[in-house]
Amino acid sequence: MPNIDRREFLKLVGAGGVSVGAGFMLREANKDPREYLIPHVLAPEDFSSGLDTFYNSVCSMCPAGCGISVRTREGRAKKIEGNPAHPVSQGRLCTLGQAGLQALYNPDRLTAPMRRTGEGESASFEEITWEQGLKQVGDRLDLLRAARRGNRVAFLTQGVRGHLAQLFESFMRQLGSPRLLHYDFDHPHTLYAANQQFFGESRLPYYDLANTRLLLSFGADYLNNWISPVHHSLGFGESRQGRADVRGRFVQIEPRMSISGAAADEWIPAKPGTEGILALGLAHHIVAEGNYSGADLGAWTNALADYTPDAVAEQTGVPVNTITRLADSFVDTTPSLAIGGGAAGNHSNGVDTLVAVNALNYLVGNIGQEGGLVLNPEPAGPAVQQHRASYSAMVELAEAARQGEIDILIISGTNPVFTLPPAAEFAEALAQIPLVVSLSSFLDETTALADVILPSHTYLESWGDDFPEPGVGFSVGAVSQPVVSPLYNTRGTGDIILDLARRMGSSSVMPWQNMEEFLKYGWRRIYQRGDSQTLAQGFDAFWTSVLKAGAWGETTNGSTAFTLNPDVIAGIGVAPPEFSGSEEDYPFILHPYLSPNFHDGRGANLPWMQELPDPMTSVVYGSWVEVNPVTAEEMGLSEGDLVDIQSPHGQLRVPVFVYPAIMPNVIAIPIGQGHGEYGRYAKGRGVNPIEILSPLLEPITGNLASSATRVNLTPTGGRVKLVKTGGVSRDLGRDIVQHTSLGVEVSSAADNSIPITEVTT
Amino acid sequence: MNISIVPALKVLRPAAMLVIVILVGLVLGYWANATFVPGNSPEQPIAFSHKIHAGDNEVPCLYCHTQARRSPSAGVPAVSKCVGCHLEVATEKPQIRLLMSYWENREPIPWIKVHDLPDFVHFTHKRHVLANIECQTCHGPVETMDRITVSSRAVNGSAQVGHPWKMGLCLSCHRENEVVNGIDCLTCHK
Repeated sequence: MPNIDRREFLKLVGAGGVSVGAGFMLREANKDPREYLIPHVLAPEDFSSGLDTFYNSVCSMCPAGCGISVRTREGRAKKIEGNPAHPVSQGRLCTLGQAGLQALYNPDRLTAPMRRTGEGESASFEEITWEQGLKQVGDRLDLLRAARRGNRVAFLTQGVRGHLAQLFESFMRQLGSPRLLHYDFDHPHTLYAANQQFFGESRLPYYDLANTRLLLSFGADYLNNWISPVHHSLGFGESRQGRADVRGRFVQIEPRMSISGAAADEWIPAKPGTEGILALGLAHHIVAEGNYSGADLGAWTNALADYTPDAVAEQTGVPVNTITRLADSFVDTTPSLAIGGGAAGNHSNGVDTLVAVNALNYLVGNIGQEGGLVLNPEPAGPAVQQHRASYSAMVELAEAARQGEIDILIISGTNPVFTLPPAAEFAEALAQIPLVVSLSSFLDETTALADVILPSHTYLESWGDDFPEPGVGFSVGAVSQPVVSPLYNTRGTGDIILDLARRMGSSSVMPWQNMEEFLKYGWRRIYQRGDSQTLAQGFDAFWTSVLKAGAWGETTNGSTAFTLNPDVIAGIGVAPPEFSGSEEDYPFILHPYLSPNFHDGRGANLPWMQELPDPMTSVVYGSWVEVNPVTAEEMGLSEGDLVDIQSPHGQLRVPVFVYPAIMPNVIAIPIGQGHGEYGRYAKGRGVNPIEILSPLLEPITGNLASSATRVNLTPTGGRVKLVKTGGVSRDLGRDIVQHTSLGVEVSSAADNSIPITEVTT
Repeated sequence: MNISIVPALKVLRPAAMLVIVILVGLVLGYWANATFVPGNSPEQPIAFSHKIHAGDNEVPCLYCHTQARRSPSAGVPAVSKCVGCHLEVATEKPQIRLLMSYWENREPIPWIKVHDLPDFVHFTHKRHVLANIECQTCHGPVETMDRITVSSRAVNGSAQVGHPWKMGLCLSCHRENEVVNGIDCLTCHK
């Protein structure tokens, strides 16, 4: 036995103890982590652990109203795809729709009702119960109603259709308030007004892209954001590749090449705001060449007299031979179709421009034709009045608030503080309203200014329905059903409104306990339109089958006969566009466009959308300004150079992206980034071009002429690296894009003014 | 020249002893954990006995694990399933009272998962149940266990060290029964 002194012994004991512990922990660390098997307390009937359950519902990420099919497992939504049975989406879905899961699971969701405490800088929100929140709002509503001062209540919502729209309407009728406003930044007010003028009905027709052979698109980015992009994409694919003998041709007319422009056979940059003039130039050529022979030929000849190809070429910057060639092929190709919207509608002459596009369709007989423009029947949903709020309606609301005429403002699903230019002074007006109630699911810029937040479910947790506008030529409807149980202490928007209605003593008129009950009540009317077989099976069977299929349709078509009111022809004419700011001080025209990822900014809190490269520039995360290579070279700018963009109404600092497919005097910034609130993924990224828009209006609708702001560009000397997935846009002798001549000589050189070449730096 | 290592050993002896003590300690600690804190038979929130249910009373496995025949996962019965019988049966036993307290509070029972496969293995109960493979083939003699334990006797009846669910278990059975594509990687790893 070796001789160990006391000191040595203690050392060994210590080391031994520690190592026993270490050995114990080593084994512990090697074990699999403990997992739990949490059973249901009561098992739902349609639940099988490990098996998928699909629910059909309706997408609410944009106003298109696509049908969706959500895969759920163990009560959790896992994947959203298009519902094959729904005529709008037909099994397809866009990226924003796919990312709807991240709205549901978003870590920045509002999880409980809240109330503002404190004033000014020290203001914050404290959590309250639903009873407290609903009582606070309901009591004041009841007081106002009892005092017959219900018109001091305003209700501001995103564009909603179906029974939720009807619910909002009856709610406001109970209060006796006319102030119900549906506000969306990108709502096509001018298109509705143009259709009202031309067709006599304020509805959107069905654009039959699938069966057309030649599509002229005046500014409508129909594959990206315009009205119903998923359905248009289906039509585009069908037109290009779905028919054995025909390949549809697309011509896109716009100052900045959009996704649709990139997919087109021909991209024609016309000067911003002159798209309508170009359309009338085509119309003039059609009439002048004797290709129109209607009884009202004389009226048309008179109305179009000023729009000779030479005059139009002068105004639009599109060469004469392009105008005549387009006009001739528009006549020669049947069916053909002209659509207009987007930036072309967002000018001071927006309505006239879109009337001109309708006129073009009329002259070649596209209206009511397959492959043309099919008039939709009356939507099957509940009859509600039009509450579309244009920019000027919002300014009126803000003005009323400043005058102290509004006591309560309820805001649901829309974010005007972000999507209105600061010139509307909407945030300041909100401060004048004693009680601002937000029903949003997220703390967006508007909700951050609210006094009470009653957070709504996301669309995947709530009941609703939708009757897509435009329909697909026949009546379509779908019920939006909850696909998962609510994740948090939130409630459905309809349920909140019904609860408030009860509290202000309207339960005799609005007796429904919840939205589901109200929906069933409303869909009974649609059930009664059914044939004898449907009626024999009873309402419950009908309801179940609508929920299962995720769509309801009726094959009654809209009217095909169309007679044009002769007064319309005399009124046809497109004035030159007005711009805010002088050309000397502000040499560039700002072209703000809806981001494919974020729509009007609502998608910016979805990380999938943030990390998705922009399809045209491949830039991720931030904002950028697109500048033509020629302009960039003149100003000595290259990619990543920070520039100050100044309009008469504000200034932004943003990096340059050299973009060959934009007119030299136009610069473009995507809308959607630049949030000051709206959660961790949206906040503090990029800039919001709406902030520098001038409040120039289209006079008929009061629509904001959002494409009519002039700006100037000042290099700051600063520089950042744009995060993008694309590398060099040049071939660098690698022969990646191989090309050969068509063997046909394309008429004169520089047919369409701007060559798509990359700049040499 | 005469070289001896003895002086060097004398210097090294305390260090050598330290190393030996540490090594022995590590092994001891490891062994103690493996023996007294086994991961393969954790104590459950309710001392549910498969022996009483599946053994003594011969309740078929699929009576409670109903999902096994149609789903990849066998499923744990909802609390309501337990209560369905125990409103009448053995109501006075302390463990059943514990069960009823979960039921009355509408709380799920947080069972601890014992039989587990890594996430990269795609195992489906449905196929195996429909092929009439006895549950005990993999899960061992569950009907004899008071507390569920990963059985080391599961494979070929012979004792094994450690967790028996290695790839060899799947492969040997698939080979033996000549399963179509049974040893293809993508059959399980997809």
